[in-house]
Amino acid sequence: MKSLLAFIKKETMEQFRSGRLMILGILFVLLGVMNPAVAKITPWLLEILADSLAESGMTVTPVTVSAMDSWVQFFKNMPLGLIVFVLLQSSIFTKEYQSGTLVLSLTKGLERFKVVVSKTVVLTVLWTVGYWLCFGITYGYNAYFWDNSVAQNLILSVVCWWLFGVCVISLMILFSTIANSNTGVLVGTGSVVLASYLLGLLPKISKYLPTLLANGNPLIYGVAEAKTYIVAILITVVASLICFAVSIPIFNKKQL
Amino acid sequence: MDMLYISDLYKRFSDKKVLNGLNLSVPEHSIFGFIGKNGAGKTTTMKMVLGLLKADAGEIIVNGEKVVYGQTTTNRYIGYLPDVPEFYPFMTAAEYLHFCGEITGMKRTENEERCKDLLELVGLGNETCHIKGFSRGMKQRLGIAQALLNRPKLLICDEPTSALDPVGRKEILDILLAIREQTTVLFSTHILSDVERICTDVAFLNNGVVGVQGKLSDIKTRYRSEEYQLETGNDTDMLILQQTFPNMQQIGRNQLVFCEGDYTAFDILRFIADRHIALLKLERAEPTLESLFMEVVEK
Repeated sequence: MKSLLAFIKKETMEQFRSGRLMILGILFVLLGVMNPAVAKITPWLLEILADSLAESGMTVTPVTVSAMDSWVQFFKNMPLGLIVFVLLQSSIFTKEYQSGTLVLSLTKGLERFKVVVSKTVVLTVLWTVGYWLCFGITYGYNAYFWDNSVAQNLILSVVCWWLFGVCVISLMILFSTIANSNTGVLVGTGSVVLASYLLGLLPKISKYLPTLLANGNPLIYGVAEAKTYIVAILITVVASLICFAVSIPIFNKKQL
Repeated sequence: MDMLYISDLYKRFSDKKVLNGLNLSVPEHSIFGFIGKNGAGKTTTMKMVLGLLKADAGEIIVNGEKVVYGQTTTNRYIGYLPDVPEFYPFMTAAEYLHFCGEITGMKRTENEERCKDLLELVGLGNETCHIKGFSRGMKQRLGIAQALLNRPKLLICDEPTSALDPVGRKEILDILLAIREQTTVLFSTHILSDVERICTDVAFLNNGVVGVQGKLSDIKTRYRSEEYQLETGNDTDMLILQQTFPNMQQIGRNQLVFCEGDYTAFDILRFIADRHIALLKLERAEPTLESLFMEVVEK
């Protein structure tokens, strides 16, 4: 247990001193502020553009924005947050393979699974804190400017998106134990997510796929029922656990 | 007792045979020089001892326990210094040693004390900058400190001095000599003068097998050459000697060499005394590790 904590401490120190923690902090705060800000300035932007639009034959009717527009922005911006997160963290294993820093820790008797567990814990905590920080900021502004109650199933929809992020992270860890370079990690993770997205275009199987969770709009508009998400949620949780469980034996056999 | 015992170790990388039935035994409290050309398989052998590489066949026993690939419980007896040790660049030397201590599960107070002592031993006690600013010699010294942290029974160093300048090399060798009481040292190298300075035992690795192995002094006696070198004061004396003893060979100005098999040293000395030849030097040629090494490699 002590060695696990020591490795987690080292990972945290690395996130902090390499500046990644700060970049992620800025990113999620910025995204959190941007969601309501974009919604807030939309009418104002349209007003400015009204004249030029009128010249080209379009008339602009006054628009009213609500918390709903801000939440739509939230789901639109989150992919950016996740992509930056994955890009920043994709080298969390591979950098150690390439520099050989793990060899010394492992030859000190550190069990290999603890490396995987530590990195998983740190990544999941970072994602969770960043994500909910972003959510909290957006929620606060929305409550101040408008009323959050217009969005239906709000908590479920954001939990779904968070879970989708966790699933992507577990994929990233799995590919980190397989690949030796972070290109391999990115290509592996990216292609699985892309495959899931493309399969999701087929209506028959879309409700079984993790990518369904990344589509929160039908939930907050009340178009989709909460229970239609249950299967996808279960599958995502199981898939994440499997990715994590499989990465341990793979890492145990990895030649360093 | 043998601290490390290797029998019939085989390893091949795709079509290249690296180890071909290697046998090795490292006695306790020795400083064991593991000598071989570049690419002879020294690092491969060491990585297998550490359980970082899978052996194709053979057995490795550390302190009486068998080494299993992947799950390396035997590593608790071992301290390892790779040829180019890599540390987390964002830490300071003290932080890194603390981290290592925590990983091995040392008690907090013991860890702190041990880190302090070791940093003193390797001369990094007052170093406060991050490891990314360290020179190669400093990294090598920190490497030894981390390898010694959990008081290993066996310290494995992979070419610890190869990349260092003479000062750095001396520092490392001095540290290795100083810790001999506490542990057994196995170090690979191709710098023979280092071996001669500090090793008690040696093994020569060639073509995937150990050519010669044993106490350095025994090996030197066993391979003691029967050659004598002789130097005279002037050319005429040298010519007289050469004419009387035709099997003597000239190797330099006024310098001759002969074998004990051809003429005994006493005959030569008697002749020199009778003829009043001005003798500058007569010595038995010491076998150098270099000549030994060449002999093993060419065999």
